[in-house]
Amino acid sequence: MSDVMLEVKNLTTKYVTRFHEDVYAVDHVSLKIERGKSLGIAGESGCGKSTLALSLMGYYFPPLHYMSGDIIIDGKNISGMDPDKVRRTVLGTEIAYIPQAAMNALNPTRKIRKFIEDVILAHDPKVSKKDIYELAQNRFAELGLPVEALDKHAVELSGGMKQRVVIAISTILRPKVLIADEPSSALDVTSQKMVIKMLRDMMDKGMIQAMIFITHELPLLYNVTDDIMVMYAGQIVERGSAKEMVFDPVHPYSRGLMNSILVPEEGTRSVKLTAIPGTPPNLKNPPAGCRFAERCRYAKPECRYNQMPIIDFAPGRTYRCGTSVEELRELYRKEDEMNAAEASSDTGAADGPVRLTKGV
Amino acid sequence: MKNTIRQVFHSPKFVIGFVIFFGILLLSIIYPLVHPGDPLESVFIGSDRGSFTPPGTYFSLYDAASSFRTNLNPKSKTAADRATISISDEQRVRMITWLTAMEVSLDGVDTTDDAALLEIWKANYDESAKPKGMTKSERNACKRLNSDLNSSGKESPLKVASEDESVKIKDIDPMNYVPVNQVRSVIRLPLGTDNFGRDVLKELVSAIGTSLLIGLVAGVIATLIGLVFGLLSGYVGGLVDDIIMFITNIFTVIPSFILLILINYSIGQEARGAMVVAVVIGLTSWTWTTRSVRSQVISLRNRDHVNLSKLSGHSLFRIVMTDILPYIASYVVMAFILQISSAILSEAQLSLLGLGPSTTKTATLGLMMNWAMLYSAHLGGSWWAYFPVIGVIALISFSLNLMNTGLDQVFNPTLRD
Amino acid sequence: MKGYRKYFGKKILWFFITLVVAVILNFILPRLMPADPVAAITGKMAQGVTDASTTKEIYERFQKVFGTDKPIVVQFFIFVKNALRGDFGFSFSQYPRTVSDIIGNAIPWTLALQLPAIIIGWLLGNLLGALAAYIRKGFDKVLMPLSMFFSAIPAFGMAVILLVLFAVRWKIAPVNGGYDIGMIPTFSWNFVKSVIAHYQLPFWSIVLVSIGGQAIGMRSMSIYELNADYVKYSRFLGISDRKIVGYVFRNAMLPQITGLALSIGTMMGGALVAEIVFSYPGLGSTMYKAVTSADYPLISATTLIITIMVLLSTFFLDIIYGFIDPRVKAAQFD
Repeated sequence: MSDVMLEVKNLTTKYVTRFHEDVYAVDHVSLKIERGKSLGIAGESGCGKSTLALSLMGYYFPPLHYMSGDIIIDGKNISGMDPDKVRRTVLGTEIAYIPQAAMNALNPTRKIRKFIEDVILAHDPKVSKKDIYELAQNRFAELGLPVEALDKHAVELSGGMKQRVVIAISTILRPKVLIADEPSSALDVTSQKMVIKMLRDMMDKGMIQAMIFITHELPLLYNVTDDIMVMYAGQIVERGSAKEMVFDPVHPYSRGLMNSILVPEEGTRSVKLTAIPGTPPNLKNPPAGCRFAERCRYAKPECRYNQMPIIDFAPGRTYRCGTSVEELRELYRKEDEMNAAEASSDTGAADGPVRLTKGV
Repeated sequence: MKNTIRQVFHSPKFVIGFVIFFGILLLSIIYPLVHPGDPLESVFIGSDRGSFTPPGTYFSLYDAASSFRTNLNPKSKTAADRATISISDEQRVRMITWLTAMEVSLDGVDTTDDAALLEIWKANYDESAKPKGMTKSERNACKRLNSDLNSSGKESPLKVASEDESVKIKDIDPMNYVPVNQVRSVIRLPLGTDNFGRDVLKELVSAIGTSLLIGLVAGVIATLIGLVFGLLSGYVGGLVDDIIMFITNIFTVIPSFILLILINYSIGQEARGAMVVAVVIGLTSWTWTTRSVRSQVISLRNRDHVNLSKLSGHSLFRIVMTDILPYIASYVVMAFILQISSAILSEAQLSLLGLGPSTTKTATLGLMMNWAMLYSAHLGGSWWAYFPVIGVIALISFSLNLMNTGLDQVFNPTLRD
Repeated sequence: MKGYRKYFGKKILWFFITLVVAVILNFILPRLMPADPVAAITGKMAQGVTDASTTKEIYERFQKVFGTDKPIVVQFFIFVKNALRGDFGFSFSQYPRTVSDIIGNAIPWTLALQLPAIIIGWLLGNLLGALAAYIRKGFDKVLMPLSMFFSAIPAFGMAVILLVLFAVRWKIAPVNGGYDIGMIPTFSWNFVKSVIAHYQLPFWSIVLVSIGGQAIGMRSMSIYELNADYVKYSRFLGISDRKIVGYVFRNAMLPQITGLALSIGTMMGGALVAEIVFSYPGLGSTMYKAVTSADYPLISATTLIITIMVLLSTFFLDIIYGFIDPRVKAAQFD
């Protein structure tokens, strides 16, 4: 038993479109999660974060194709394994998935109980239906879900209930790693809270050993996960602890991402809300150099043709940029000062940029 | 708009359907120009064949005999053709009956082999014999059969004489050929004739025209009613919607062909022209269009651009014309195409029931089918009287369905594969 | 349970409303027309009668038979009352047989022919459509255009083609009728054998025609379901592909029941015309005979019976659908 629950090395997968074009939506991604830890992945829509979630399962079907790299779950390398073996021995037991659109994730014409039977029998055909029913009842009770839901069809459940049932089904076989792809994005605030609490509880109780939480809502990540990773155009651009990533982002893209949203938490500095100009590159034909160079306000000419390596610059922190950390921090400091000066000169201006100031 | 049309013509399904449909349409327009004349006029009057002349090129024997003759002298073709006698099924049965009645052993003889059968026949036939259980007329039929079999293959010249003695007697040699285009009267019947001796091809082309017109008229009526009802029901909503949907739901469940039968029967024979039938079909088949237009309009009703128009105080008519119609046009076109195809089928089915257009002046596809069935063309082997009709009906609805599927794939990207 | 009750209540109500409208139409349509059916019938019956008073007598007698001398509302209630008792009067063309006797003899033939044929056509079509959606590639490329062409052939056309090929050319099936002409309907083995032999061609022509349309519908429905989110999720839970195909097939097939309910009227119409081609002793041929011999009471009763058959099958399909598709129940709560 190693302490690293999930290790991904240089994973590359591609989509093949209807017109037989290759789209490399996950490009040489490496990551590591330790036992009991959770990792958040953030990025704009289309940055490849959902594709990464699918690719991590190690089970590929068109239009997604595996290209290269390793996925090691609790010391066991699952890439290159026979797909049917992956299906029977890895999916649901080693690694499990909570889909983006949980609303439609359940077969509308099958009772929840029957569906759970299908899931368990797919891994162990010898379990009796009675045992399965007992297991399901216990698990639902443990997770605070009404046991009656087992005898209902998905269409009879409310949205929030459906999402929690999906989480319960995904973890019914006690997977080591759970991958949640925007599990709460489509829910109202109350249901969102319940879902997050449920996931945290499962981590605390040790029902799952590690979790990857994917979302475009950064504030959520700050509350839920230990670490945050930012993805851009199929690549990882920066990783650090949640706090570091929110208050001290290094990569220009991470900074842009953090500046474009509000983080309603202690220690907030004066933030000018700015959108990142431009759109992400087309992954059918990615740029030769830094993929963010086109939109980066600090880009130098060589950024456009130099491949950017990923660099470790502090314990647990990595980034992918051609400019040194010190230089970037200096640039950011100057920019913040300028913004602060501007802010004090025209406070109260009706149509000034939106500000969030500490202590207000 | 231009872009949409280009997109539509990039769909192979639509293009194939379009080409077939317009091919048929062009045929119905151009053929009558090339071969003018009344399509329901009999080609042969009181011909001895009676009914259903098979397809072929018919030339006047009289003209052929009096035409210019060339002695082509084809090496062995003629002689060989005449020597190989082909025995018809009817003749074969008669021969076998006679031989069995005379207790001639047919063991080991392949009776389907013409030459072998003929050999046995020639060896055994005796005109004076009276086989058991055969009537005199049957014996006579055998006698005729024998002389038929013997006369073919003989090669003595024929003599043609005229009642007018001044015209010289002509000898026709077995080697004499006449170019068909030099025979003065030739009738070409690519699809033979029907029971009334009418040229089936000409009749078919005219029937295609009429049936397409019926489809078009019925389709336009059904689409207009469906469109107006659908727009009112979907856009106005409320009580209007309730009333229209009540009627629509009722007429969706009550089978329209029953209504067609009742109405057409009640109109009576005299009043039931092709256009009347078309109108009746149109009046009974609007429910589908209403439903589809209504659901589209409801999904459009609260879109931003419609709300903007409402806020700008535009009239209902203007909103419908500029903000709704252009968005549902593709659905209306698709519904229209399906209406045409189902109207053509409805007409055909009604005609088969004897409730189609009651006319002796124009033909429709259904009437042609009805006539062929009435005179048992299908039992008599006269395929040319019904098969082309079925084929054309199938091709028309096939092409229209293809066009519809093509459009559907262009306008509903979720269905694309 | 509330959802179900609402759904079934609505369906039963609709069944009765459409039934009433259908009966009214059946009664009123022929009477709306300018032609006087009694006069037409009198003309037919009184052919060769020169005496004006006799003609008038015949006219009045038929007026009484039809009740056309009474106000139209009274006529309607007499019509309904008689119809409920199954009394549709005498047939003109087959006098002195009663209309209910003729129709009673025809109904079993039509039911026994169309019910299995439509169900089997529907099942085979769905199976082919699902296969086309699942296998795609070559199978799909061949099957879909073929299905489209087959579904374009009208039922009577298919009937004629099968009849000519199998009965006239290859002589492996009887040409027409429901049983051999010389036979008397009994439950003897010979009679049953003859019925089965006569059953084949009409049956397969209806099956073949319905397969195509169903296959096309099922294919697009299945493709839609195959792309549904639950398919992806089930896969990631490790459920086998075979099981998932089962889900997809079931979910795509259920809405096809509604599709069948909506198209059953059209399908039966086509099948009735196909009966005529085979002179099958069902309602289609009865109607044809009635039309050609201007047998007014027979036409009226046949159309009414066919309408009721269509309404009933639509109603039952809706009820079955409500029971087996849980999505219906959920929709009723909205």
